[in-house]
Order: sequence, then structure tokens, then C-alpha cells
Amino acid sequence: MAKKSFFKKHSEALKRATLQGLMIVVVSVVTLEATSLLQYYFSSRSITEEANRRAEGHLKATELQILSVTDQVETAVRNTLWSVQHQTGKPDSLAAITSRMVSQNNVIYGSAVALIDKDIAPYSFRNGEEVSLSTLATQEYDYRSQEWFCKPLELGGGYWSEPYYDEGGGGVIMTTYSVPVMVKGKPVAVFTADVSLDWLTELVGKVKVYPNTYNFMISRSGRIMVSPAETLVMRHSIQEVAQKSDGSEVFAGVGEAMLSGQAGDTQLKYKGKMLRVFFDTISRTGWSMSIIIPEDEIYGESKRVGFVVLLLQILGVALLIVILYSTVKNQRALKLASDSKTRIEGELQAASDIQSSMLPKTFPPFPSRDDIDMAAAIVPAKEVGGDLYDFYIRDEKLFYCIGDVSGKGVPASLFMAVTRSLFRSVSNHEHSPAKIVTTMNDSLSESNDASMFVTFFCGVLDMKTGHMVYCNAGHNAPIALTDRIGELPVDSNIPLGIMPGFAFTEQEADIRYDDAIFLYTDGVTEAENIHHELFGEERMIKVLHTRRSASEQMACVADAVREFRGEAAQSDDITVLFIHYLGKDESGDNVLRINFDNDISQIPRLEGFIEEVREATGIDAGLAMSLNLALEEAVTNVMMYAYPEGSSGSVNLKAILREECVEFVLWDKGIPFDPTAAPEADTTLGVEERAIGGLGIHLVRNIMDSISYENKNGMNILTMIKNIK
Amino acid sequence: MEVKITEQDKTLVAQLAGRLDTAVSQEVSAQLQPLVDNADRTLILDCKDLEYISSSGLRIFLTIRKAAAAKGGKVIVKDISTEIRQVFMMTGFLNLFEVVSSAE
Repeated sequence: MAKKSFFKKHSEALKRATLQGLMIVVVSVVTLEATSLLQYYFSSRSITEEANRRAEGHLKATELQILSVTDQVETAVRNTLWSVQHQTGKPDSLAAITSRMVSQNNVIYGSAVALIDKDIAPYSFRNGEEVSLSTLATQEYDYRSQEWFCKPLELGGGYWSEPYYDEGGGGVIMTTYSVPVMVKGKPVAVFTADVSLDWLTELVGKVKVYPNTYNFMISRSGRIMVSPAETLVMRHSIQEVAQKSDGSEVFAGVGEAMLSGQAGDTQLKYKGKMLRVFFDTISRTGWSMSIIIPEDEIYGESKRVGFVVLLLQILGVALLIVILYSTVKNQRALKLASDSKTRIEGELQAASDIQSSMLPKTFPPFPSRDDIDMAAAIVPAKEVGGDLYDFYIRDEKLFYCIGDVSGKGVPASLFMAVTRSLFRSVSNHEHSPAKIVTTMNDSLSESNDASMFVTFFCGVLDMKTGHMVYCNAGHNAPIALTDRIGELPVDSNIPLGIMPGFAFTEQEADIRYDDAIFLYTDGVTEAENIHHELFGEERMIKVLHTRRSASEQMACVADAVREFRGEAAQSDDITVLFIHYLGKDESGDNVLRINFDNDISQIPRLEGFIEEVREATGIDAGLAMSLNLALEEAVTNVMMYAYPEGSSGSVNLKAILREECVEFVLWDKGIPFDPTAAPEADTTLGVEERAIGGLGIHLVRNIMDSISYENKNGMNILTMIKNIK
Repeated sequence: MEVKITEQDKTLVAQLAGRLDTAVSQEVSAQLQPLVDNADRTLILDCKDLEYISSSGLRIFLTIRKAAAAKGGKVIVKDISTEIRQVFMMTGFLNLFEVVSSAE
């Protein structure tokens, strides 16, 4: 269930991350595109404006150049007109004038003076380097019907003819400027100057607003004067072209606009391409010029830039997606990594829990025994380690051990578990610590592929005598708390698991009542503070100097280490085992024992115990009953006051039989309670005044010869002595 | 521990046999409740077969005695052993109870 909800949670988180990534991409794209569109809009507007400016500029420049030519012709004509007016009667002179016109003005191709009244029309024209003379007054030509002749007379002023193709004059496009020659207010002749328009083709044709623009020039009537398609020139009119083209209407429209003498610009579609047409009409001649620019030309650059920008954007977005994807993936990988780390830590915790659950954890471990006070604990480091301790009592002997497996983590933990179970199984049928350790070593060395080892101390304490046999296999020497405090002397045996067949040696010691053995792992002495100083044995022994109960002693050491370590991390397991020996009464007298659970229904068992005492001491039945009564009162008191109702606990009683007295020692590990502090019951009071309670301790006091209470080593100890001799 | 209550001419006689210790005191206390309820009469605690009594037993005796004192009854403790007499002495109960012996 937990796994499922974990994956669900996980996938939700992933979905969220993916969604966030998508959002980032979408917002980025929208922002980018909006910016690009705006930029495109403004830039294309400015490009259009730029195109207009350029086209108009070119048109104006071309117009000016054309005007400079026409002006030149018109000026030449005007300046010569005076001579013509005075020479109308002299045909030879007129021929000379026309000849001069041509020779003196480079732009003028030919010049004629055609008389109205007479058939006289001398015409000079450029013939290579020479200027030749001819006459227009021929029967075939009939100059009087020609446009150049009629129009100026009709208009009464200068007139630029429609361009025409001069067959006789060298096959060039020409136009003629003609003015009426007035004598005394009457027109007498028409004076003309022909202008070759081949320069016009060059002039107009070379106007290149953009690399691929097309320039047209049409005459007043729509005749095409300049065109990139040379076949059209002079042969067709704009109207004819319009009819042939796909976008005839548009062409026609443009043509109309051009012919109406307007300036402006328009758009048209030709052969699937959008074209932009700028046009302007040149005053005087009535010619209209247009520049046709394909929109590709105008916007081509910006489109190319736009394309590059778009490409860059796509690239950028793709990059963004890749980055986001890898970020999400990394996060997922990170999460997975942290998940698996958490899982491993969880497993290690479980391993640690299993490890510690294998060790005796209930303290006091032997609640019914008054001869031993023990406490032990492993304060595990963050990483599961391989510390162990164990103890149990068999055949009135305390088997105990402490060990520290090399290394950390699961392997150490497993090795520790193996070591501990070996200790249990081997010591179960063996009393000698050296033999226990040797057997364990052989077993551990045999199957030790991981080259692990464990430092180990094993002791066997005879609870009755205080005689202790022990074997140290490379572990820290325990601290013996006897009359003095110091290391227990230990032989230098090697740790377990290194060398099979190693013969371990054991040592012996005798401890007495109230002596203690403190066993520890190097997690205590090698605890480091932030300055990398070690806690050390000296500090540890200083703590041990004050005599306390086992559990208090252990707590004090742990506190001292914690305080010393401060902010620094605990790098190793801290394991301590404290054995406080309270056995072997020094008197050496006979001792009888009885233990009760916290249950008054067990009170009748006292009778049997008293019977034992009576048999051992030979006291009479009356005294026996009195002792029974006193002890019942004392035991009941403990059951009533030391242990809260319903709690379990042990009430222990021993009778130390001496020559002249019996010493009853009653102890428990319940709430400190001193029965001797209870006020003396007044037995002289009458019925009404007598209290119901308080009789018990009164009886104890009356029956026993002495009674004393102390709270020691976490125990209530009531000592009652009855003299029997 | 055995308790047997008999009525003889408005006198209630409780025969106590065995050991009256803490373990049984509650049960005995319940069994002797009729004596507390009839404390206006003469109540006889026959201790001929009482082997042992602890303070919890004495407490029951005292409760009955107090009830009798309140209701105007009378409590007679009959035939206590030497050992129990000693206990009565120690606790001042000899002053509180009329202790009789059938031999007298």
C-alpha cells in the first residue's frame, strides 16, 4: 500500500514538473512570437516606407534627368526661333539654321523648319559624324498632316510628339519638339528638333531601386517607350500589354493611373508574384515612368532575416525543451536516488533494529536477583554498526560479552549477529571463556570471506563467589571499579575472525560485593568533538568515579560523551555494559531467599519460607509466627506502596542466618518508599480513636529487634534483624 | 481460611479457622459483613481454630469493634492462641476487645 501511494505521489510530482516545463515552453514561444510579429510589423512598415522613398527618389531623379534633356532641347529651339522668324523667306538660310541646330546640340538628332504656305521643309539630321540635309517636303510624307506639324499650331505653343520609330533616321526611337514660328502674330512655319530616345532607354533602364526591378516608360498615349522586354518597345501600348497579362485589370488600372498623369503607387499580381508599382508622370512630355518592384525584392531581405530569426527561435525553443527535459529527468533521477537512499537507510535502520532486538534490552535484567545490578546500551551511530553486547545467567554464573566488529554497514551488522549467536550457542555448554572465544574464533575465521574481524571480551562471573574468569580478544580492557578504578589486566589476544586455531588465553579475578566492571567499545573513548579531540579514557574514568546504580552510571557516561561531542556527529556506535556485583555476602553465612511477584495472593508462600528459617535456626513456633507476621507486614507494604496498583514488579526477601540473629533483607526496584518513616501507631487509644491502618509497620517494629531502610542502587532495601539467642 | 457464622439467641457467632493473612483478608472481610450489619447485638468471634492473624485481619476485627461501639453492640473474642494473644498485646487489642476463654 505504501509503495503504491509512493509511486502515485512520485508520478504526480513528475506530472507537475512536466506541466511546469510545458508552461515554460508555451510562455516562451508565445512571448518570442509576439515579439517577432511586432518586430516584423514595424520593420516591414519601415521597409515599405524605405521602398517608397527609394522608388520616389529614383523617379524624381530620372524625371530631372529627362527634364534636363528636354529643357536643353527646348532652350535650343527657343533660342534659334528668332533666327527662323527672320529667315522664313530664305529656304537656304533655314537649311543652315537646322544644320546648325544639329551640329551645335548633341542631344538633337535632327531639326526641320516646315513652312505652312509653301512646300518648303528643310531637314538636317545627324548622319554618323556628319550632318546631312534633306527635305520633308515630299509627296509621300505630306508633312502638313503630321502630328508634330499640326499640334503646335493647334496648341499655339511647343509640343513634344509621341515617340516614334524613325525608319529613315537610323532606326532609333525619336520624339520631336516642335514650336510654331510666328511672324507678325501669324504662324508661318513649324520649327522642330528631333531627339533620339536611345539615351532614355539607358537612363530609365539603369534605374535600379532593387537588383531586380523593372522600369517602364510609356508615352502620353500609352505607347511603351522603355521596357525590359525590348520587343514591346514602340510596338505595343500599355493597354495592349494589360490585355495580354494575367492580371490584366491591374495592369489596365496601373496604365490608366499612369496615363492620367498622376503619381503614386499600387500593387499588382503578375505571374503569381506580388509586384509593387511606383509611377510618376514627367511634365512637358507627358511621359509616364513606372518602377515595378517585386515584393520579394522589397521584403526579401527582411523575410530572409525573419526566416533566420524564426530558425533561431525554433532552435532556442528546442534547446529550452531539451534543457527542461533534462532538468525534469535529473530531478527524477535525483528523487529516485534520494528515494533509494531513503530505502537503503530504512533497511539499515531495520537491520539495526533487528540487531539491537537480539540483545538483552530489559533493565534491570534480573529483577529478582539482589546480587547483580546491570545496565547496557548501544547508542547507534547514523550508519548501522557492528557493536554488540550480551549476557545471561546460567548455573549461577553470569556469562557476558562485548564486541566491536570492524567496519560499518550491513556486513558489519550481519557479522555482529553471527558473533552474538555464536556466543550464545558456544557458551551454552562451555564455562571457560578461553574455550568459548577459541571456538567462536575458529568458527568465525572459517567462513570469513570478507576478512572482517571482531574485537571481543568475554567473561564468566560466578555469582556466588564473585570469581570471574575472562578472555579478551583484542578489545578495550574493561574498567574494574573495586577499591580503586582502573583497567582490568588483559592478555593481548588477537581479535576474532583473523586466524583460525589461535589459542586464546584467559585470566581470573575476584570481585567482591559492590565491585563493578565497566565494559565499553571505542565509540566511547574515540568520540570526537568539533575540534577533533577524543573523549578518551581519562574523561570516561572520571565519570565512573562517582558510584551510581548501573543504569545511572550508563546514562552519565552517555551524557558525558554527548556533551563532549557537542555539535560533532556521532561517527561510531557507543556501547557500554555495566555490571555491578552485589552478591557474595561477606559474612559467609547461610542465606535463604524468596521472591514474590507484586501480588498479595503470594503472601501465604511466606509460611514455607519461615518454616525453612525455623528449621535452619531452630527457633520456636511462636517466634516463627511473629517473624511470619512481621515479614508479611513488610512485604505487603512493598506491594502496597512501591509498586502502583496493577504494575508488575518483584519483591525479594532473603534471610541471612547468623549465630545470634537472623537478618532479613527485603528489597525491591519499585518507587522509593521508606516504611520506617511512618509515624508510630498509638496502641493506647480507645476504639473510636484507633486508626484502621498503621498496624503493619508497628508490628514489624515490635517483632524485630532492629529495622533500617536505605535506597541504594535503585532499590528499596529494608533490613530487619531478629535476635535469636 | 474458613468462616462460619451461626446465630444463637440473637447472638452472632463467627467461627474462624485457619490463617487470616493479607491474601485472604478481603474475602474474610466480606464474609464477616453480617457482623458489621448486626453490630447492635452481641457478636462472638470464635478464634479457637485461628492459627494466624496479620494486621489486615486485625483491621477486620477493629472494623467490627468500631461498628459495635457505634451501634451499642458487644464484641467478644473467644479462645485466641498464645501467639495471637501476643499480637493482641502488641497492638493494644487486648484493651479494645473482651477476650474470653471457654476454659474459664
